[in-house]
Amino acid sequence: MSFIVRRLAFYLVAFLVAATFNFLIPRLMPGNPADIMLANSGGTIPVEARDALMATFGFIDAPLHQQYLTYLGSIFTWDFGISVKFYPVPVADILGRALPWTILLTGSALIVSFSIGTVLGILVAWRRGQLVDAILSPMALAIQSIPSVVVALCGLYLFAISNRWLPTGYAYDPALDPGWTWDFISSVMVHALLPVLTLSVVFIGGYLVTMRNNMIGQLGEDHVHLAEAKGLSDGRVRYHYAARNALLPSVTALALSFGALFGGSLITEVVFNYPGVGNLLYLGIIARDFPLIQGQLLIMTLAMLTANFAVDLAYVFLDPRLRKA
Amino acid sequence: MRGLFQSFVRNRKAAAGLTIVVIYVMIGLAAPLLSPYEPLARVGRPHQPPSWEHLLGTTRMGRDVLSQLIWGTRISLMVGVLAGVIVTVIGTVIGIVAAYVGGLADEVLNFLTNVILVLPQLPLLLVLAAFLGQVDPLAIAVIIGLTSWAWGARVTRAQALSLKTRDYIQASQMVGEPAWRMILFEMLPNLLSIVGFNFIGSIIFTIITQATLEFLGLGSPLTLSWGTMLYNAQTASAILVGAWWEVLAPCIAIVVIGVGLSLMNFGVDEISNPRLRTLGTVSKAVKLQRKLDRAREGQA
Repeated sequence: MSFIVRRLAFYLVAFLVAATFNFLIPRLMPGNPADIMLANSGGTIPVEARDALMATFGFIDAPLHQQYLTYLGSIFTWDFGISVKFYPVPVADILGRALPWTILLTGSALIVSFSIGTVLGILVAWRRGQLVDAILSPMALAIQSIPSVVVALCGLYLFAISNRWLPTGYAYDPALDPGWTWDFISSVMVHALLPVLTLSVVFIGGYLVTMRNNMIGQLGEDHVHLAEAKGLSDGRVRYHYAARNALLPSVTALALSFGALFGGSLITEVVFNYPGVGNLLYLGIIARDFPLIQGQLLIMTLAMLTANFAVDLAYVFLDPRLRKA
Repeated sequence: MRGLFQSFVRNRKAAAGLTIVVIYVMIGLAAPLLSPYEPLARVGRPHQPPSWEHLLGTTRMGRDVLSQLIWGTRISLMVGVLAGVIVTVIGTVIGIVAAYVGGLADEVLNFLTNVILVLPQLPLLLVLAAFLGQVDPLAIAVIIGLTSWAWGARVTRAQALSLKTRDYIQASQMVGEPAWRMILFEMLPNLLSIVGFNFIGSIIFTIITQATLEFLGLGSPLTLSWGTMLYNAQTASAILVGAWWEVLAPCIAIVVIGVGLSLMNFGVDEISNPRLRTLGTVSKAVKLQRKLDRAREGQA
């Protein structure tokens, strides 16, 4: 129990650090963000709105610590200000609409890549030094070093443009009304297929190599030899004795890969024009829509922290030693 | 040191990786000699497919793709190495200091490292780049370098902590070795494989991230790099009009250097962790053993 409480405290502080970064970045950068935005907006924002925009950043006539407290208060009341690009829609509304799509994309990619990578890693370690290992392991390593943007662009060209098998973008057929109908759900699935697959491919390699290396370490351990000597079946030794212990460092690697996963999803969303938060960040950056950018950054941080906390819970489940502590 | 290098070259994966990387470095160095055309000049009609005149075709602006690719190699590698150096130096120093000094310093540094690890890095980089305006390659290298050291620091710290309890370190402590000597001559040599792994990994990460930032239009449009090539291809809708060469060329360049660098890293991993070494088949292992036996007999 104390393990979970400690982790929660850590995430709270980490979130405060991120929020502080968010507060400091526009203050440390040259120029005044509100003026830059007014200049960029091309007249969609009335000049009177300038004061409201300044307030969004906490640029009120007050000493710095006062500004900081106002800013923190607005975060915890979920008030990220008003978007410039989508003026006058509040940032919180825009993010709320985009978040489910990103969760769908990253969640599916995570499940696909982690399960395929881990299972292949177990098999390759079992046959280490044989042909499968000699082919799959270097290949996994190579795939790992391919940027998401390359995979996404190649996937788009191969499967959506030169062969028109899959849609080129967006999350569903815009002619359909969103709802729990079969037409709509199948359209969502077809549209998600290519983004999810191109996003997963990059990560399979990493999970495979991690699992292979942990597994090889485990296979040399005494308890595995004992299990073999007892005459247990290969499958039992592989999964119940070796893989279960090898999984722990893999789960750590999983937590460490969340950052890359969110980054990859950002790129994938941009390439496939998928309406998630990553694409929103991109649109916000192009339009220099600072309230949107800052709100997005906080949401992504929150998502990362939640995902990490979920991994901590999984750790407690996988490692009995933590349950006692 | 020499022994380390020899076992590195003898490792087949590492040697293959090293070959790729050396070729890239040579292309980068000899860019002015190798490039057939001026990379930013209009030298042909727009979107010409590959031909003898333009081996990799032309862009929509009528620029030669091969020349751009060759010059891009130079910038992308320089950014990668610069950021790699920054990441490795910061990560190694923080990792060793945290482990060696311990106590409050360790608590603070370790906390800082862990916080940075749970922050979404790419979005943060994008936002930094956006606030800075269109950033040149040097600025990209610096911001990537300053924000990406956490992983290296964490791994270095873990290894340094385990070294600290070894007998030989404790012995030299009792003999009264000064701290700098202990760190430089007793600990650092045993951390070399982690430092090398971190350095190469950071170069891969930087090349990927630079390409991503520039693809999203955050880099300076006047730069000649793989990322700006992708950006220009994207804004010219190269994929949609079927000009695949304009997209594929930088993609392949990035993939191949990434593969080369990770093969090197695989080699580093295998050398530092003998368990991961695979001799291939049993017959190969037997042959190797015979060879060793014969060599020993020859010496005797």
